[in-house]
Formats: sequence, C-alpha cells, structure tokens
Amino acid sequence: MDATDQMRDKTMESTTLTPERTEDTDLAGAIDRILDKGLVINADITVDVAGVELLGIKIRAALASFETAAKYGLEFPSGTNFETAAWKETMIEKEECPQCGKRVEREELLNFACPWCGWESAKAKKRKKAGVKVEVQ
Amino acid sequence: MVTLRPEETGLKELLDRVLDKGVAVDTSVRVDLGSLDLLGAKAHIILASFKTAEKIGLDFPEGTNLNTPAWQNLKTTQLCPVCGMESRQEELKEEGCPWCGCYRPDER
Repeated sequence: MDATDQMRDKTMESTTLTPERTEDTDLAGAIDRILDKGLVINADITVDVAGVELLGIKIRAALASFETAAKYGLEFPSGTNFETAAWKETMIEKEECPQCGKRVEREELLNFACPWCGWESAKAKKRKKAGVKVEVQ
Repeated sequence: MVTLRPEETGLKELLDRVLDKGVAVDTSVRVDLGSLDLLGAKAHIILASFKTAEKIGLDFPEGTNLNTPAWQNLKTTQLCPVCGMESRQEELKEEGCPWCGCYRPDER
C-alpha cells in the first residue's frame, strides 16, 4: 500500500470528511445541461404571397459547449487551432463522479476510483474483491 | 450500498425531458383579403438534444463529422434505470450496471 492508497483510505474512513455534491442552482444547472447534451434547432420557414413562394429559410443549427461540439465533430470557424492541449483533452471520455460531481476520466472512474473523493464503482469494487490489480496509465 | 438516482426537480428536470423528447412546432399562417389569397407563411421547427436528433434522424449543419466515436457511443450505450449512469448496452444487460452494481436481470 503506497502513500496515496493510505490517504484515500483515510479519507474514506473519516466521518468528518463526507464529500457531498453541491446542488447546482437551477439556471446554472440548466445551462450546463443544455451545453453538455447539445441542442439541435432545425427550421424550415416559407413565405408566399398570393400563392407564389417568395422566401424560404432553412436553418440547421447546433448549439453545444466546446467539448460537446468537438466530440460530435461539429465544424469550427476556419483558423481554429486544433493542436492545443485543450482539444486533445476533449477527446478523452469523461464522466461526472456520482459522489462529488467532478468530471473525471471515465475509464479511471469506472475501473479504479474517483481521484478526487475516492468513490468506487461497483465494477472497481468487484475487481478489487477478485484481486485483479488494475494498472492506471 | 445502492444509491438511487436522486429525484430531480424543477427547471433541470423539465429541460431534460424537453430535450430528450424533442419539441416540434408546426405553424402556418394565412392572410386573405376578400377571396384573394394574400400572404401565407409556414414554419416547421424542431428542437432536440443531440442524442434525440440522431435517433430521429435530424439534419446536422453542413460540415459535421458524423464518424466521431461520440456518435457510435450514442448507439451502443444505455442509461442504468437505477442510478442513471451510462454504460455499454451488453455490459448492462449481462453483468449488471458497472456503476451502481444493481439491476442484474438474472438475479430477479
């Protein structure tokens, strides 16, 4: 057992340190949700005068956070530099920790534990019980 | 320990539902003068989350790359009915939810 393991165990045992997910306030949570899920707005509008079609508008819009947009391959304005570290980060799948709510690398959270609060998934517990050593890259 | 999915209330729940179900607005307006057809307008508007949009086959803006792993994930993942976390469909079905450890069909 190394130092980090000890620290995590200590944190989990401690009764004074119970990580609790702070509730998002309504509006902030709602905006978070929209940007995270992405929103598609498609509209076809036509205007005709005296039976003659005069004007047609076709809108195909997608609204999302940078992360979601990158993940779903939306086109970015020309000139955007995709070589920055932040873009590479968006390609790593992340998941919200059910306990502390922080966004963590999905594989680590599922197979090992939350690096922030030490929460363990059922899969990680099962693996630990079976004595399978999980290597974290 | 089984943590049940917390009941969500208010705006967030409402939004989730609206986005997941999608909203379609279909309107048409006609203006007649006497028996003369003067002006008409038609609008078909649809609003949905990415996941729903993909499911019902909505158009995405030009230039969208529909081959990213995230699109594949939409098709192969499913939400756990108990904790609401996402996992692979087969895993959820065969081994139970890897997140909360519940919902094992063979144990019922």
